[in-house]
Amino acid sequence: MTTSAISLEAVTKSFREETVLRDIELEIEDGEFCVVLGPSGCGKSTLLKCIAGLIDSDDGTISLDGRDTAEMSVQDRNLGYVFQEFEETLFPHKTVAENIAFGLEHGEQERSPEEIDEIIDDMLSLLAIEETRDDLPSALSGGQQQRVELARQLSRECPIMLFDDPLADLDYKLQKRMELEMRSLHADLESTFLYITHNQDQALKLADKLVVMNHGMIEQIGTPESVYHNPQTAFVCRFVGDSNALVTEGVPTDVGDGVVDVETEIGPITATTQNGTEKETGIVIVRPEAVSLDTADCETTVTGVLEGRTYTGETTEFALSIDGLDREFYVVVPNDPDIGSVGETMELGWNIDDALYFEKLSVTDAVTSSDLLGE
Amino acid sequence: MSDTEYSGADTSAAEPTPDVTDDVALDVRGLTKIYPDGTLAVDDIDFSINDGDFCVLIGPSGCGKSTTLHSLVGKIPVTEGEVRLGGVDITDAPTYERDIGLVFQDFQLFPHLTVGENIEYGLQRLQVDADERAERVTNIVEMMRLESLADRQPEELSAGQKQRVALARSMVLEPKLLLLDEPLGDMDYKLQKHMERELLRLHRELDTTFVYVTHDQTQAMRLADQIVVMNDGKVEQSDSVERVYNEPATAFVSAFVGDSNTFTGELTDVSEDGSYAHIETPLGTFLATTKNLRSDPPSLVGEQIPFSVRPQYLEVTDELDNSVSCRVDDVIHQPGSGTQVILEATTTDGTPHELQLKSFDRIEPSDTVSVGWSADHATLLEQTSVVDGIDLGTDILGE
Repeated sequence: MTTSAISLEAVTKSFREETVLRDIELEIEDGEFCVVLGPSGCGKSTLLKCIAGLIDSDDGTISLDGRDTAEMSVQDRNLGYVFQEFEETLFPHKTVAENIAFGLEHGEQERSPEEIDEIIDDMLSLLAIEETRDDLPSALSGGQQQRVELARQLSRECPIMLFDDPLADLDYKLQKRMELEMRSLHADLESTFLYITHNQDQALKLADKLVVMNHGMIEQIGTPESVYHNPQTAFVCRFVGDSNALVTEGVPTDVGDGVVDVETEIGPITATTQNGTEKETGIVIVRPEAVSLDTADCETTVTGVLEGRTYTGETTEFALSIDGLDREFYVVVPNDPDIGSVGETMELGWNIDDALYFEKLSVTDAVTSSDLLGE
Repeated sequence: MSDTEYSGADTSAAEPTPDVTDDVALDVRGLTKIYPDGTLAVDDIDFSINDGDFCVLIGPSGCGKSTTLHSLVGKIPVTEGEVRLGGVDITDAPTYERDIGLVFQDFQLFPHLTVGENIEYGLQRLQVDADERAERVTNIVEMMRLESLADRQPEELSAGQKQRVALARSMVLEPKLLLLDEPLGDMDYKLQKHMERELLRLHRELDTTFVYVTHDQTQAMRLADQIVVMNDGKVEQSDSVERVYNEPATAFVSAFVGDSNTFTGELTDVSEDGSYAHIETPLGTFLATTKNLRSDPPSLVGEQIPFSVRPQYLEVTDELDNSVSCRVDDVIHQPGSGTQVILEATTTDGTPHELQLKSFDRIEPSDTVSVGWSADHATLLEQTSVVDGIDLGTDILGE
């Protein structure tokens, strides 16, 4: 059996009365790009700090390459750690090259000045910031500073890299560019990456393994495809990707093959069960991109009034009001189809496979349907 | 979506100031701001916004969008130019007389007042009588879906709820114009998406003119009727979302708003009817449409002209008007939104050139592919930018 790069067994952490991590079990393989995704306060930053040794967990075992970290200092763990607030981590009076050299000069491995120079050149070229070599951090843009911090951490050649939402503060365009760079850096370096973010778009783009957290617990672990297409709870389905949610009433009628008939806010619907059919209430979720405005081949159809139509270049979003629903229902289609004017009654439809029925909303019983509908 | 054409469309050409009609809520002419240290933050810009539209000001950091917003609200005195709201010159009017509401990223609610009191505060200051105050507060609370929160203190609210209170507090004063300064900037991704939809709904129901500032171009595309793209203190284009995306005025706009593949080369010849032209680039010679050009195409023969192709119009094929051989660098399958492919083509002198392809379906390209696109989706752009000497990579990525 191969040893995981990072292994967490029953890790628990509380701050005073509040439990922020409950019984976390997670295996991250060597060379994997693992992304932990969750809302603010879900415990993902605490998880990262426990692994780095910046916070001690209360219970459980954290192992790095098979070694229990209980007796390891922060330095012994030999981890690269890139924070979101990178401005505070660079030395303001040192040039870019001196900033990168600092970690190398003070590392465990003895290196000649020529070797250090070579590593700096390689890193600056890898991150496409060669021209900043002799600049002070204050002369650089936010994106460049973030790359210097990445260079500084990556040059230490740590087998494990931890990233705390490193792109969150960057301008949109630069964020998109850096997402692609993170992927290619990971492919080039072959290190294990553990990356936390609240941005599901980024998570779906970067992860080999996606971990969804909520209220200090892991809701689901899987590939982005499996988490998106086979969410185990309504929380995961709502948090990863876009969704329309319909609250149900009464125990659904099982019609076989994992399909149920269930009463919802907009009337009876036939849906595919995800995690049980015994409770009095549940939720049906339909992804906006699974809804069609050409209903000829749809197994379920409903009627709505078009309230708004938003063209975004790549796709068009239709906002519809449906009788019985106190919020809008969304449909997203590619490009800019020549259909629909505001006020028009439209028919929309989907297949039974695309209507997912959840009776278990979350792994924590604390989540209610109004939590999932609200903000 | 408004189908009105916007009068401030092309600021680069020397067009006469259009007549201000009843439909125009805000009209900005020749607005210039030079700070005391000599920085030219806003450089002689013109744009107008139709009554009831949702207008988004967008551009890279430091482009002048925030200075423009602060000039509109009267927080910054302008150096030159004129701002008219509903036909009235407000250029030098004090902030409180402008009839403009303002919503910030950090909400700025009064911590010691309840939600209801926060919303009522402005009406009290205006000495609106108690009955009318109560009625207006009730109406706005209902529209903002804040009924169950009216007695809470701000500290008991989530970020999304605080933002709705901040909106309600501005909207209860029934301003002619509501300015929103990156109001969703600090929110979680998920909440941001939710609030974007809430803002669209409120805008539809309120029928007020919104001016919204952001650096996030997807947010701009989702929210706007009209987009004003700014760069280096100037307006690159002020137009509908459709036109900014499909008929960009400059290569800067094409690259900044949405993703695009941009090429530059010499325009060598033009088809007989003038609709298409050949462009000789270091990657090969390509056919592109001239529909977006302002000049007569034959007059541009011999000139260096950029053209751009949106990633969703690139296909793995050699059967379209144009094709180029590429190495596949990365394939990103994003569940729910298809496949993004990062490609590298090589110019005749060996320089790598990155291309992006987007497919709504899941595709699995091999390591080297021929990528093609039709001439109708290759849009020739007469100008790189309204700013002289711009470098697209540097200026868009802010590096």
